Amino acid sequence: MAVQRSDAELARDARSGSEAAYRELVARFAAPAVNFTYRFVHDRALAEDLAQEGFLRVYQRLNSYDPERKFSSWFFQVLRNVTIDYLRVNRLPTASLDELQEEGHQAAAVDRESASPEELAGRGELASAIGAALSRIRPEYREVVVLRYQEGLTQPEIAEILGLPAGTVKTYLHRARKELADILAVQGWGPASAEATARKTV
Amino acid sequence: MERKQLDAWLKAEQGGEEDAADAALAHLFTAVPKVPPRSVFVEQAVINAWRWRARRRRLLAVGWTAAAALVIAGAVIAIVASPLIGRSTVKAIAYLSGHTVPWLIAYASVALHGWLTLGHVGAVIAAALVTPARVAAVVGVELLGILAFYALHRIASAERLGDAQV
Repeated sequence: MAVQRSDAELARDARSGSEAAYRELVARFAAPAVNFTYRFVHDRALAEDLAQEGFLRVYQRLNSYDPERKFSSWFFQVLRNVTIDYLRVNRLPTASLDELQEEGHQAAAVDRESASPEELAGRGELASAIGAALSRIRPEYREVVVLRYQEGLTQPEIAEILGLPAGTVKTYLHRARKELADILAVQGWGPASAEATARKTV
Repeated sequence: MERKQLDAWLKAEQGGEEDAADAALAHLFTAVPKVPPRSVFVEQAVINAWRWRARRRRLLAVGWTAAAALVIAGAVIAIVASPLIGRSTVKAIAYLSGHTVPWLIAYASVALHGWLTLGHVGAVIAAALVTPARVAAVVGVELLGILAFYALHRIASAERLGDAQV
């Protein structure tokens, strides 16, 4: 049974000129990278371009990567800088709700084998509602939410990526959750409407 | 299931239960779709990186070649031109020496002569001052001279006054 090499090992080999190691590294982080940039530009092609730029910058700076650091933290730090550079130069319109709802329905289709039609309907709606709410919160909150809840990073790792104190990240997460809850409540996903939604789903 | 998770999250959020809210929202987010990259994404990223790597290597090679060429050209110029430069330099030094050294020697001898004369004068004055008798003689002569000038001044003044009174 082959032991999976760590990200740091792959980075070291890629720095030494191993194309296979770099390919493996890109394969591991392609989806998180595109997902992260997409949350800010709301355009899939542009998100992919920014992610490509991020990977190229990572490759160019592999010499400066400290293997003692977690690779994902360093990677997201570089990717975030690429995204911020782009957003500073280009002011982008926010994503339309329709796009995000469509995206939510696409995701709901992923688990269709394991869920009943009723569950699927409710899950798809909720996923799209959360996706839409995510696009409406403040960008600094959005990035901590994406890194925490979509990429599964810890608060200290997020603090390292963003260059913020851990306490600030905790505060951002708290406020972000509050904003998400408020937006969802306005859209009818609050606790009071739970039974009504359930009935509607059934 | 997700509806229950949503309610659990919102309840934890309202109750101020940070950890529970964090865990519940993390679970909810597993249903939120990620935007997957296209199938060619990885290949494109690798191609981009290796193109950049090749371009960088080319630039480095060109840089090293240019530096080596400059060093070689400098060495060749130094080797080929150094005899010519050496000869012309020796000639110039000989020419300047032939025209300037005699003049420098002549001026130096005149300056030396003047310096020796000043030295003699200084020695005479010093010899006069070193003995009390000679000092007294010099002072006496100077006092006599001063008195003579004073007397002449008085006579000249009296004559001017007399003329005016007339």
